[in-house]
Amino acid sequence: MRPLLLLICLLPTWLLADDYGYPLHNPFEATIAGTPVALRPALPDEQSISQRDYSLNLRPERANRLPANFWPVRRLRYRLASQPGPAPLIFIIAGTGAHYASSTPEYLKRLFYGAGFHVVQLSSPTSYDFMVAASPNATPGFSPDDARDLYRVMQTIQARHRDLPVSAWHLTGYSLGGLQAAFVSHLDEQQQSFNFQRVLLLNPPVNLYTSVSNLDRLVQTRVQGIDDQTSYFQVVLQKITRYFSEKGHVDLNAAMLYDFQRSGERLTDEQLAMLIGTVFRFSAADIAFTSDLINQRGLITPPRLPINDSTRLTEYFKRALLCDFDCYLSEQLIPSWRALHDGGSLAQLIEQASLYALSEYLGNSRKVAVMHNADDPILGPGDLGYLRRTFGSRLTVYPYGGHCGNLDYRVNAADMLEFFHAP
Amino acid sequence: MPRDLSRLFVLCACLAAPGTLLLAADDVDADGFRNPMQRLHFNPRLDQREFERSSFAALNVYDPFEAWNRRVYHFNYRADQWLLLPLVDGYRKVTPGFVRSGIHNVFRNLGELPNLFNSLLQFKGRRALDSTGRLLINTTLGLAGLWDPATRMGLQRHNEDFGQTLGFYGVPAGPYLMLPLLGPSNLRDGSGLVVDFSLDSQVDWLGMASASDRYPALHLLKAIDTRDNTAFRYGQTNSPFEYEKIRYVYHEARQLQIAD
Repeated sequence: MRPLLLLICLLPTWLLADDYGYPLHNPFEATIAGTPVALRPALPDEQSISQRDYSLNLRPERANRLPANFWPVRRLRYRLASQPGPAPLIFIIAGTGAHYASSTPEYLKRLFYGAGFHVVQLSSPTSYDFMVAASPNATPGFSPDDARDLYRVMQTIQARHRDLPVSAWHLTGYSLGGLQAAFVSHLDEQQQSFNFQRVLLLNPPVNLYTSVSNLDRLVQTRVQGIDDQTSYFQVVLQKITRYFSEKGHVDLNAAMLYDFQRSGERLTDEQLAMLIGTVFRFSAADIAFTSDLINQRGLITPPRLPINDSTRLTEYFKRALLCDFDCYLSEQLIPSWRALHDGGSLAQLIEQASLYALSEYLGNSRKVAVMHNADDPILGPGDLGYLRRTFGSRLTVYPYGGHCGNLDYRVNAADMLEFFHAP
Repeated sequence: MPRDLSRLFVLCACLAAPGTLLLAADDVDADGFRNPMQRLHFNPRLDQREFERSSFAALNVYDPFEAWNRRVYHFNYRADQWLLLPLVDGYRKVTPGFVRSGIHNVFRNLGELPNLFNSLLQFKGRRALDSTGRLLINTTLGLAGLWDPATRMGLQRHNEDFGQTLGFYGVPAGPYLMLPLLGPSNLRDGSGLVVDFSLDSQVDWLGMASASDRYPALHLLKAIDTRDNTAFRYGQTNSPFEYEKIRYVYHEARQLQIAD
């Protein structure tokens, strides 16, 4: 009986594996390189999109306390692309540390705009600008609070563009933004400012702690070629230098990444993992530094240190780089959560900040769907099983793509549009 | 299709034997999860602090004028937001796309001269030939550079400046410099810029330099065209440490260009 049941569970995934056609079967390559240009969907060009950046003054009380060099993030900026006539609007929540105008929200915007939607792009609550300009306690990671902050921003945007003819409200988010989208949707059931019609979670973490632990571990891989004189960055740069000198000219573009991974200088899985881990560690450093500074906790920058445009920050950057997600969690997030929400143990925080907290809601809410990958490195064993039990037929699992690498694959693009277009 | 069926049989056989869920090279869990973390080799005692060591080394760029440079960085950021980018937006609104690309090609064609000069100085014969060919073809067939037929004929553009030439001869980068409006540089590359600029005005190719002196608006047009064709936006790293990140990327990118 058991093999049969498992077979039934596996069947859709298995058949997809053959028909899917996504060429990168290495999850780390896929995460970094995305989809080969020829396999991406057709998108409207930037010129034809009617869009503008706006900014909101959400925390005027903070203006005088912020260091002078934070002037660019005193107001929260966002991007609105509007259709000429009435249309449904999709909010996009960016992933960990990401800016509203970074490449993935830009890609999603073009995809949805091309299909006739108004689109609003929002920075992640874990990003520098959102933490400073929009978050009252500037200590992101506790999903219910992040959702509350996002919701307030979205309500303000709604009020500001009252004249925009919006026929329906939709919501999506990728990576950590996917998890937050679930919490925002749940909040909206109570507050009903939007009554979202469709909510799409793209590659969300299931257990937040599993995801951040995996990301922290990525920089602990055993990488060949490192010695006392050569650091990891130098190993990678040397490979790139050799690659270009063989080619005879420097040409940085998307296609180069594929060619590079097929050359003799290709990076190993461990080196690719280290590269992904590095990107996330830099995000962790930004979060730890910003949260500490705004709350004057004194862990990285001394309290009341005068900072202006000319202040050297390199020393504080180094201190922040020592702090990975686990360190941020134990030194800043947990104490803040305990103080604000009468929180208890780590296990309780994980339960309340992960998808588990919404199991019942997500299990019954027909509007919420998930798209995920069978080889996503932010997942742990059992996570896909949880998603399948909770979402049933509203879960789509692609066999390949790593973490968000296949979002710009045309099969995924078509599936996303179909989801938002469905009546 | 028969292949699919046979795979299904293999799958059934695998599933029947508990604990041997081996499919091809990947381990797949019962719920379909491929657990990519299992593919990786980790350091035996985990924390080897390689990330910390690498990133600290990357922060180690010679920057004795850091306080001044940071002020200039913030000045450039503001100038970009409040002056240059609005100008670029206005320029895009009033100028059709083909006119903009024509203007861009003209400036690029003029920029071929330093490329040629510096390729020669570095004994890069092939590149000097490419640049000469581009200059001749684009100036004549391309009507003073309005079009770029040379690229279609397979002549690649190679950007070579005097800073690279100095680097080629082993001149060290010197202190990092943030130049007003021009952006990241260092003592070597900044001096190189001066040489490339004065080359332009000495040779006065197609009379551009003297025309620019008579019509200063041409300088402005060139600045707007350059900004229009530079993808970088201040704030795009969305990090309180953007200054450090730009410094590192500039430093490494120049090393790469010099080695190339």
